[in-house]
Amino acid sequence: MITVTDLCKSFDGTQVLNNVSLTVAAGEVVGVIGPSGSGKSTLLRCLNHLETPDSGVIEVDGHQAYIDERGKTLSAARIADTRSGVGMVFQHFNLFPHLTVLQNVASGPRFVRRKDRAESEQRARALLAQVGLAEKADQHPEQLSGGQQQRVAIARALAMQPKVMLFDEPTSALDPELVGDVLAVMQQLAEDGMTMIVVTHEMGFVRKVAGRVIFMDEGRIVEQGSPAEIFEAPAQPRTRSFLSSVLTHTAQDGTA
Amino acid sequence: MSSLFDPDLARTAFPVLLRGLLVTVELTVICGVLSLAFGLLVALARMSPFGPLRWIVSGYVQLVRATPLLIQLIYIYYALPFVGIRFSPFVSAVLGLTLNVSAYLAEVYRSGIEAVPRGQHDAAAALGMRPSVAMVRVILPQAIRIVIPALGNYMVSLFKDTSLAAVITVQEMLFAGQIVSAETYDYFTIYTMVFILYFAVGYPAIRLVILLEKRVKAGYSGRKKLIVTPTGGVETVELIK
Ligand SMILES: Nc1ncnc2c1ncn2[C@@H]1O[C@H](COP(=O)(O)OP(=O)(O)O)[C@@H](O)[C@H]1O
Ligand SMILES: [Mg+2]
Repeated sequence: MITVTDLCKSFDGTQVLNNVSLTVAAGEVVGVIGPSGSGKSTLLRCLNHLETPDSGVIEVDGHQAYIDERGKTLSAARIADTRSGVGMVFQHFNLFPHLTVLQNVASGPRFVRRKDRAESEQRARALLAQVGLAEKADQHPEQLSGGQQQRVAIARALAMQPKVMLFDEPTSALDPELVGDVLAVMQQLAEDGMTMIVVTHEMGFVRKVAGRVIFMDEGRIVEQGSPAEIFEAPAQPRTRSFLSSVLTHTAQDGTA
Repeated sequence: MSSLFDPDLARTAFPVLLRGLLVTVELTVICGVLSLAFGLLVALARMSPFGPLRWIVSGYVQLVRATPLLIQLIYIYYALPFVGIRFSPFVSAVLGLTLNVSAYLAEVYRSGIEAVPRGQHDAAAALGMRPSVAMVRVILPQAIRIVIPALGNYMVSLFKDTSLAAVITVQEMLFAGQIVSAETYDYFTIYTMVFILYFAVGYPAIRLVILLEKRVKAGYSGRKKLIVTPTGGVETVELIK
């Protein structure tokens, strides 16, 4: 579904992604973990071309994405078209505050696919029901809790019927008691066969839902494997020290 | 006071001044609407990927901002006819005021557009919106809302600045006052009335801007206040009644 080959990206001379290669099969759920600043967000943003890679090839659904045959970056309009097949959920939700919840979810089909309003909103209502927020349709995002906003953001991304969903720390900005509802929606999505790449610090979720875990550090994929392999028997010392610091921390929080 | 303010003159002058006020309001509304629209176009042109358009537009903005409005009006009405460009006083005033106010509004719009968090651009792009669609559907509605109070203040300024059109013989309220007082030499009575009439329109306008500002602060649902956190997230707090 997604193939990344030798992806490199630097900001102002600092190498943030260093020859990252990665394959994600259809229906696979991949958890991406790693310390802050290791390039996880940049990797996801490159997959969606919110950042322009310095070099490397990204294929989505069998097609080279975002650049043409001669290696030139596509026009903004054609990038937008390609991007609509990849859903993305952000740490800070980024709902459109001037639109109601329903209009947020309908915004992709309406403004990108130019479907008519009734059709878009009907589908939006179904998606809101799916994330358990049917009754919030006519409110504005600012009237919702963070957890509810994030579920709306997931519904908004799903409305475009993406082939892949990218999650960038979807629960990191939430109060602990709101995390569960969002993770439940994501788990359901995974069980329904959605291809997902999830950057998260929720190790419990990764263990339970992800088929594969990728550990990133300093712009490189240090190690990857099944949750059992990574969590029980990490091969790399850096993975071990990261996991022990995260797991100790979570245990101390009492939320593990 | 009674010796200073002449009630009989006030009664005869009132309809004349009121006609002048009508022209003042007319100028304000016409130039207001035109510059709200043109200013937005100028702001968008300044962000255009097309270099020459950006340079032309930014030259225009700097030209306007670095010279006095009074001189701009005088130039259009008195100087341009020498190169064969001739407008009536009213059209000259509309042109001068609109070009002037638009340059300032363009800066206001631009600050509003820049105040919309990056996350909004990201979310619109991630859905597959093209840049123009994202601008119209996501960025501008928020940007314009942010700058509504500032736009309102510029409209009030415009209302006051229309008095400069008297210099190019537009028969707005100040000009009407000048005509009547030149006939009677009773500057006190006439200009007191002009003063009060400006205030009678200007003060409610200021109150309206304050009201708009409160509405904007009350959030999109009318009940909450929006806070953009340093990390680009958005938090809300209930307004204390
Ligand atoms: N737009 C940007 N401009 C400059 N530096 C950036 C930008 N985005 C990310 N970085 C830098 O790239 C590095 C990796 O960031 P990021 O991908 O956000 O890491 P993570 O998501 O793993 O915490 C960090 O050092 C960060 O400061
Ligand atoms: Mg990150």
